[in-house]
Amino acid sequence: MSALLEQLARRQLLWHGDSQQLAYQAVSSGFPELDQQLGGGLPASGLIDIQTAAGIGELRLLLPYLRQQQQQSQRLLVFIAPPAELSADMLAGAGLDLSQLLIITPGQPISPPKPAGRHTKAAKKLNAKQEALWAAEQCLQSGCCATVLIWPAAISLAQARRLQLAAEQGAASMILFRKPSQTLSLPVNLSISLQPDPQGLQLTVLKRKGCWPAAPIRLNMQSRWPALCLADAPAEPMRQAS
Amino acid sequence: MALFLYLHFPSLQLDNLQLSAENSQNLAIAVVDQQHQLLQLNQSAINAGLKLQMGLASAAALCPDLQLLPYQSEQQLKVLNSAAQQLYQLSGDIALDPPAGLILRLDGMLQLYSGLAPYWQALSAKLHELAYRYQYSCGATPYAAKCLAYQQAALITNDAKRLSAALHASPLTATELTAPLQQQMARLGIHTLGQLLALPPAELARRFDSQLLSYLGRLRGDYYHALEYVQPESGFSRYLELLYDISDSAVLARPLVKLLQQLEQQLSRASCQCHQLLLTLFFRDNPKLQLCIGSAQGEYKAAAWLQLCQLQLQNLTLPEPVYGLQLDVNRFAGQQRPTEGLFAQQQASMSALQLLSLLQARLGRAAVSGLTLQNQHLPEQASQRSLPLVKGYVVKGQAGLAALALRPAFLLPKPQPLTEAVTISQGPERLCPDGWQLGAQRDYYIGRNRQGQWLWLFRTASQQWFVHGWFS
Repeated sequence: MSALLEQLARRQLLWHGDSQQLAYQAVSSGFPELDQQLGGGLPASGLIDIQTAAGIGELRLLLPYLRQQQQQSQRLLVFIAPPAELSADMLAGAGLDLSQLLIITPGQPISPPKPAGRHTKAAKKLNAKQEALWAAEQCLQSGCCATVLIWPAAISLAQARRLQLAAEQGAASMILFRKPSQTLSLPVNLSISLQPDPQGLQLTVLKRKGCWPAAPIRLNMQSRWPALCLADAPAEPMRQAS
Repeated sequence: MALFLYLHFPSLQLDNLQLSAENSQNLAIAVVDQQHQLLQLNQSAINAGLKLQMGLASAAALCPDLQLLPYQSEQQLKVLNSAAQQLYQLSGDIALDPPAGLILRLDGMLQLYSGLAPYWQALSAKLHELAYRYQYSCGATPYAAKCLAYQQAALITNDAKRLSAALHASPLTATELTAPLQQQMARLGIHTLGQLLALPPAELARRFDSQLLSYLGRLRGDYYHALEYVQPESGFSRYLELLYDISDSAVLARPLVKLLQQLEQQLSRASCQCHQLLLTLFFRDNPKLQLCIGSAQGEYKAAAWLQLCQLQLQNLTLPEPVYGLQLDVNRFAGQQRPTEGLFAQQQASMSALQLLSLLQARLGRAAVSGLTLQNQHLPEQASQRSLPLVKGYVVKGQAGLAALALRPAFLLPKPQPLTEAVTISQGPERLCPDGWQLGAQRDYYIGRNRQGQWLWLFRTASQQWFVHGWFS
């Protein structure tokens, strides 16, 4: 029996409940309570899956991490297919180096656009998605990018696996921003889900490689972003849209 | 004593064409001139029994599936020039002798190579690499070497006696003399160059025109023979005619490799790299198509350029089959190696600039950009997409621009009307466009909707509400 256990353990098919070793190198997230929960912080490399609605503070949560990733290695930050125009004020204000930043918006016409029918439009959309994933893989593999942030419409298991391998090869991390409804579990280093909270964010760890998932925690952003937190008593909407 | 080597390439245009098409060996191909005489033959045409100067009718009778190509003197000259450029790295003084010859002056080079044998060894290895058929010979003067090379004498020697003996035994058909003059000589019973050289020049001058005397003078070395030696070219320009028209852009990569390899040879020889290639595709009916392939880092390796070319060719739909390719490089730049940290744990497989070229080649230049902060108060003007990886210009003595911290991460390109209930938590912040057009002023507020999203809103002077971005 013990021989069988030993054999399974050697093939890394068996996990000990008491040995919680991080499968990745951690970088402080800038939020002490989160670092404590995650055993040091966010992964320095590999995929990080964030299931979130847009505009609740998901990027603010990552800003200290992104700054550290960029400064430690003097490598690039890459934003692929962001949902709208990025604001330089916000990123520079957070201490990111704008000259070490790339924005990739696939689906731009290369040759002068021709009158497109409905069919070609659909093909173009598909093409843009493939190009986004291709660009992400190239960036991760190259070894000159610290972190790649991507807003994919959807991602399959095989694509995530491929990106994870590329990220390991280039020692880069990749952050996937997905809608919370997508419940497919991906081979990622860390998967978290975010809910809005009056004082900041509510964070649930869905999956952590090599560890138990931690309990849900509330992150208080009051000190950092006082203007983007509600006062203690939740106020009623002051104005109804007419 | 001066010593010259003459290289004669009997079928330069044809050999160059065959290099690009591997499977053309079994095909009998001939190059014909305006008078429908065969000028150049490939090996399978020779095997079929064809001879040079043969007429088209007898050629077609001997070999029914003979492929014919017109003789293009410009094309041949280009190939000859490129051969000279490639030999230039081994031998210093090379003069072109159109249409198919190169004159190499040896006496300077023998010192460098310490003898004729090592020199010839290096040169013949290079000639073998070029893969053009050639005939060669040494000679005391350019014309003597040429005369011997035309007879395929293959003399590589410094021995004046041997050279002059071979020259004296040469038939007049191998010389530069015109056909009527040769006929005239034959009637006089003069068949070899030795007989002609034995005659006193004064007697010849009385009977024949000055052309013969000038030729004989140069052949002997009595008259000065001016040669214009080639200079290494600063750019790269090669044309490749395809044996078959190519209609699939992916297949174009195969002939392109040949051109890129030649480019790599020339670049590595000069220890240079280049930042931009111009690839021209020629079509029979449509106007030619020019592609510009750039590398921000600068490359010289054929493999790196091929990858960039392939990425761009993938996106390309050809209007019709391509029959020719031309590769041009206008500027060479010195090679630079990026410095890397000695103790860096992770060696990057490529630099940021290389990555940039790769992304731009596949996605187009417009798809990859950087972001700069402008000194503007209007949010849509404060952030500007810029050329990627360019450091922002900072005036000396001043710190960089101070960023306005409370700005949303995402700005909508076009503000959307507000359609839901929001809780205003901060504001207003009044922004006016340039010129203080009070009618276009906007009061900005930060608001939170019921889903907990933080929106950046503004109210216009006419009390309409819009969402301009969201805090992420």
